[in-house]
Amino acid sequence: MSPQPQSTEAPAAASRPTILPVQFYEDRLSVSASARKPSPLWELFSAESNPGLLSLLAGKPHPDTFPFEYIHLGVRSPGAAGEQVTKELTIKDEELHVAMQYGMAPGEKELRDWLTTLTERVHSRGLNEGWRVSIGAGSQDLLYKAFNALLNPGDTVIVEGPTYPGATPIMTALGCKYVSIDVDNDGIIASDLEKVLDNWDSSKPKPKVVYTIPFGSNPAGVTASYERRVKMLKLAKKHDFIILEDDPYYFLYYGDRPRPPSYFSLEGKILGEVGRVLRFDSFSKVMAAGLRLGWLTGPDRLLGAIEAHSMINVVQASSISQILAIKVLKEWGIDGFLKHVQNAANFYKRRRDVMAAALDRHMKGIAEWTQPDAAMFFWIKLKLPASVDLQNVEIDGDSTTFIRSKAIDRGVLVLPGATSFVDGRQTARVRVSFSLLSDEATEEAIKRLATVLTEEIHS
Amino acid sequence: MAQQTLSSVIRGLFPLEKTPGLISLLAGKPNPSTFPFTSLSFKARSPTNPDEELDLTVDGDELKAGLQYSDTAGTKPLIDWLFGLQERYHGRVRGEGWRISVGSGSQDLIYKAVEAFVNPGDPVLVESPVYAWVETDAHGICSTSLRSILENWPAEKPKPKVLYTVPYGCNPTGMTATLERRKEVLQLAKEHNFLILEDDPYFYLYYGTAPRYPSYFNLEETYLGETGRVLRFDSFSKILSAGIRIGFASGPTPLLNAIDMHTATSNLQSSSLTQAIAATLLNAWGYDGFQAHIDQVSAFYREKRDIFEKGMKKHLAGLAEWDTPEAGMFFWFKLLTKDGSEGDSKAIIETTAFNRGVLALPGTAFLPNGRKTAYVRASFSLTPEEDVDVALGRLREAILDAHKEATGA
Repeated sequence: MSPQPQSTEAPAAASRPTILPVQFYEDRLSVSASARKPSPLWELFSAESNPGLLSLLAGKPHPDTFPFEYIHLGVRSPGAAGEQVTKELTIKDEELHVAMQYGMAPGEKELRDWLTTLTERVHSRGLNEGWRVSIGAGSQDLLYKAFNALLNPGDTVIVEGPTYPGATPIMTALGCKYVSIDVDNDGIIASDLEKVLDNWDSSKPKPKVVYTIPFGSNPAGVTASYERRVKMLKLAKKHDFIILEDDPYYFLYYGDRPRPPSYFSLEGKILGEVGRVLRFDSFSKVMAAGLRLGWLTGPDRLLGAIEAHSMINVVQASSISQILAIKVLKEWGIDGFLKHVQNAANFYKRRRDVMAAALDRHMKGIAEWTQPDAAMFFWIKLKLPASVDLQNVEIDGDSTTFIRSKAIDRGVLVLPGATSFVDGRQTARVRVSFSLLSDEATEEAIKRLATVLTEEIHS
Repeated sequence: MAQQTLSSVIRGLFPLEKTPGLISLLAGKPNPSTFPFTSLSFKARSPTNPDEELDLTVDGDELKAGLQYSDTAGTKPLIDWLFGLQERYHGRVRGEGWRISVGSGSQDLIYKAVEAFVNPGDPVLVESPVYAWVETDAHGICSTSLRSILENWPAEKPKPKVLYTVPYGCNPTGMTATLERRKEVLQLAKEHNFLILEDDPYFYLYYGTAPRYPSYFNLEETYLGETGRVLRFDSFSKILSAGIRIGFASGPTPLLNAIDMHTATSNLQSSSLTQAIAATLLNAWGYDGFQAHIDQVSAFYREKRDIFEKGMKKHLAGLAEWDTPEAGMFFWFKLLTKDGSEGDSKAIIETTAFNRGVLALPGTAFLPNGRKTAYVRASFSLTPEEDVDVALGRLREAILDAHKEATGA
């Protein structure tokens, strides 16, 4: 099933939705983001394009000093009949100059334009709705900057429980507090969030940010249903929060249900207004993780705040990576890209099935899990002996100790689930990745896990 | 701080993956069969023979590693080569309490170093083109100014823990710190107990007549006789490619660990692929080839400097004063007023000069609180020879316009 937006609700009035004004974001930017002023150098850059003007402005190195002449790239493209076609592409002359030189923080224009067209098509967003695309050095870096742009020390953030363990340290370092909302097979339990917000202590500032991973929710492996997304959007408007839609697995969905539309595609239709969703995409899982390339889609003012921060650290995503990416994307076109990601999704579905079979064979009765419908993880509850806390309440067994002290010695390594919870809870959950292993290695790994787990349970 | 450690839990468990016989289901690394790149090769110029081209390939395991997530601190082939580089140019031997981290440009690493070691409100010593902080002159940082600042530091205020300095081709002044100055600064660093952040993107773009001065990173060992005070930042932006976004930090292991921890939660790592491309090229060149390339690059900028200075002498004699840079790509010059009063370059640059079709950077951009100054920074890296003459001619006219206006003539 290729990623086309599907809606089961009649679209709202065909007129353009209301666009949230710039002031909306000015009011919500963090202290550090508001204080950040663009360097005078950047302001003058725009003047360089004046015809006839000679610029002595920037300390850009001269391209004659760069030793590269050509880059040849072997690229595998999805063919018409499902086969793979390999072709060599060459980057030289002007393209190579761009790849070698400093670029601007928002990223190389052709790449941005291509991704803008992709967004129009895949998320059904019109141009002139106050959004644009910005390229980053990986979506992780963009997440880091987005949190920095929106959060002050002491702010509360809504996250899923469990959530991506790479995101929470950023927020913790910013001095944030968390409210964790559980997920089930349909994704984030919106009614729980509703209860939390409806009963919010009015003396405390309400959370202005919800961080969610709607496809394949790392690590839980669940995808938010259409209904949950609609409800979340309505809550976003009612309780005035911004949705950070972290979507590195958007194109790696292989569920049986029709692909739900993104928050970014739904906000206009459901709310009649746009600008509440900031979307994070990544090339890591669909092109190459080594490129360090991702992109932001969302309101201009927010992107500007994030770009201003980039200018003082990474400055820009690697120009070479951007040129390699756009070279491939132009070769494929949007249809080719969608075919490629569909192939990748099918690939991960097969890997999922191999692991699912191994789990069925070896882990029945000693663990619990549900089938993921996107991404590359199983989120498994090991039936470790439960313990009892100081209030005599039964709590989950401790997978962290189990992995570190038993499983590793028996030759199997999985990720302790505790890293995915913000409240420091002990958990019997583990995250198991099925992306890399062969069929045989998968079988062997699960067998080892089952063996050491069984021993632990009966010890 | 606890979560911060938990942060790199995934990355922290990575080393265990190397345990023989262990099967890891740890990381959410995508499967390489889904990456659409089958080969990457490139042509590069031979630095030793201008007629020769090198055909280089990133292949096999190198390509595989280049396409996948990799170590926070950088990929092994590149780091190994960089250790050799630091030994050759700074006399520092691997395994003596310091190491190297690769960053997405040296800017990225400097940002992280400052975040790691400087708290809000802490004082940081920085060079200034004018008298605002630590003075500089034609010989680089004024160590007497620095000594004076430190010896007169108010006892009740916390002393600065960090000096940030650009010893070669200091931006914007273009000046290079002499050996004497470097030694004095190191003495002060020891006496007053501060770290030196040595930001050196133009180290290899030195074209002065004096023998190349040793870096702070070298001198702390050879002159001070104790190491651990210098955190050095190198960049490939000016010598290999700016778009490649590769810089590297060299310094005490605990300091680099702090930087890497920040990287682990923000941009994760520098691009594995560009590191692979860089490592392939650098290994093909070897250190001798690298030196030959550097010789060419610095000669290139020397020639551009000479052309630009010729133009300045022709058009700006009597209208501006300057010291000649010996590294980097900037001229820093002061616009003179008719009556000798302190001028305002911003007014001239952003109006008359701009209208006459020449754009340079007013020096106020480098001063605290946008203070007025008569200084201008001009880059000579890109402008072709014919345009230099035209640009400086236009600037001359703009300055003369300003003089006319001032006298009401």
